[in-house]
Amino acid sequence: MKSHEWFVEHGVDYATGTLDADDMATFEAHLAQCDECRRQTSRIEAELAWLPMGLAPATPRPGLRRRIIQHVLEGKSRRLQRWIAPAALAASLLLAVGAWYAGNARARGLEDQLAGQQARMAALQDTLSIMRQAGRVLQTSVEVGGQRGGLVIFADEVTHRWNVVIHGLPPAPPGARYQFWFICADSMVRGAEVEVDPGRPMMFTTEMPETGGEVMGAALTMEPVVDTAGPPRGKKLAHLML
Amino acid sequence: MKKPRLESSTPGAEPGTGLVGLTREASLRQRLIARDEQALVELVDLATPWLLSVAQAMLQDRDEAEEVVMETFRTVWQNVTPAGEGHSGLMPYLLRVARHRAIDRLRGRRRQDRKLTAAAFEWSQDSFAAVEPDEAGHPGWQVHAQVHAALEALPSEQHAAVRLAYFEGLTHSEIAAQLGIPLGTVKTRLRLAFTRLRTALAGLKEWVL
Repeated sequence: MKSHEWFVEHGVDYATGTLDADDMATFEAHLAQCDECRRQTSRIEAELAWLPMGLAPATPRPGLRRRIIQHVLEGKSRRLQRWIAPAALAASLLLAVGAWYAGNARARGLEDQLAGQQARMAALQDTLSIMRQAGRVLQTSVEVGGQRGGLVIFADEVTHRWNVVIHGLPPAPPGARYQFWFICADSMVRGAEVEVDPGRPMMFTTEMPETGGEVMGAALTMEPVVDTAGPPRGKKLAHLML
Repeated sequence: MKKPRLESSTPGAEPGTGLVGLTREASLRQRLIARDEQALVELVDLATPWLLSVAQAMLQDRDEAEEVVMETFRTVWQNVTPAGEGHSGLMPYLLRVARHRAIDRLRGRRRQDRKLTAAAFEWSQDSFAAVEPDEAGHPGWQVHAQVHAALEALPSEQHAAVRLAYFEGLTHSEIAAQLGIPLGTVKTRLRLAFTRLRTALAGLKEWVL
């Protein structure tokens, strides 16, 4: 059994984490019931908190900042997913109880509907989050076959993702398709193939390409269906520079 | 891979005078609580060099140090509270979290290894080197200069003990074994050193971030 004086004497050792494991456990047990020692160790921790800044600052490697932001914000979305999963389970259970009364077939239909709506809501939330925090919005008009539409890019400069909207264009003619491109410092890098659905805008979210160097802009072309690799060969419809 | 340029700024930083003032710290904290992602970007810009420095010095592994820094920011993002409800300042909080995370990893390594290396920890002289004049405009340089001076003012045997204890996460017994000195001597050296450091660093209380 250690005396109170022992804990006072070893406050610094506890605050700096240098006690051996057994003593550390003993100290923690004591802290649970001793306000004075809790205050003392908090004070010591605060006084020594700046000590790590005695080391010279390190230069972060390129890209670390982006990875930190992504890591932190992904944690947020994972927490949300953790919340959504129990909620979805609870909803599913409710539906199951209802099904017991109303019939299994109807419950299954409702469950599918719920899952579909949840998936659409998650996608919509993600899209809206990019639009909301877009540091830059770029747009240009596009004309195909006498029909005028547009290309809009919402650039999220925190997570480095783009939300791309293509609207007002007719379907691609037979044998051709719309192709989205990244204009990079070293080359044109192929992005998403664009399937136009008449009457509603086409929207997709994209990460930045891994190759090609610094992203400088984007382009939309009409490519032959057979061309699925290599540089653009078709007709340029629009381009946007950052 | 190159990314579109992200505007880099720490508006409100006060080059030559330390980190940031009380007003800005309070504002940044409030914005973090409000989940303002731009505030997170500003905090990352401001604190990463210092957190990376301590994690790297402790772990001697750049990749692992970066992981510690990422975990640290996530912890702070998830747990930041209004001023007065737990933490005296964001930067001390960040430093404490980073150091504890690094110590956890170091002790995890030791548990795996089940042995201590006999070789003394090869500290890079650069780790404790004073910031070069051209870096003196870096936010936090004045705090660094004061802490560095306090560490350098310690007698060499106390300095070595502090390095092993505080920056490498060794316990009293481990330090005694590593330095080949009695346990009581380790405790005495550390007690004297930390008493001196507490006195020397007391003036830093005014810095909040």
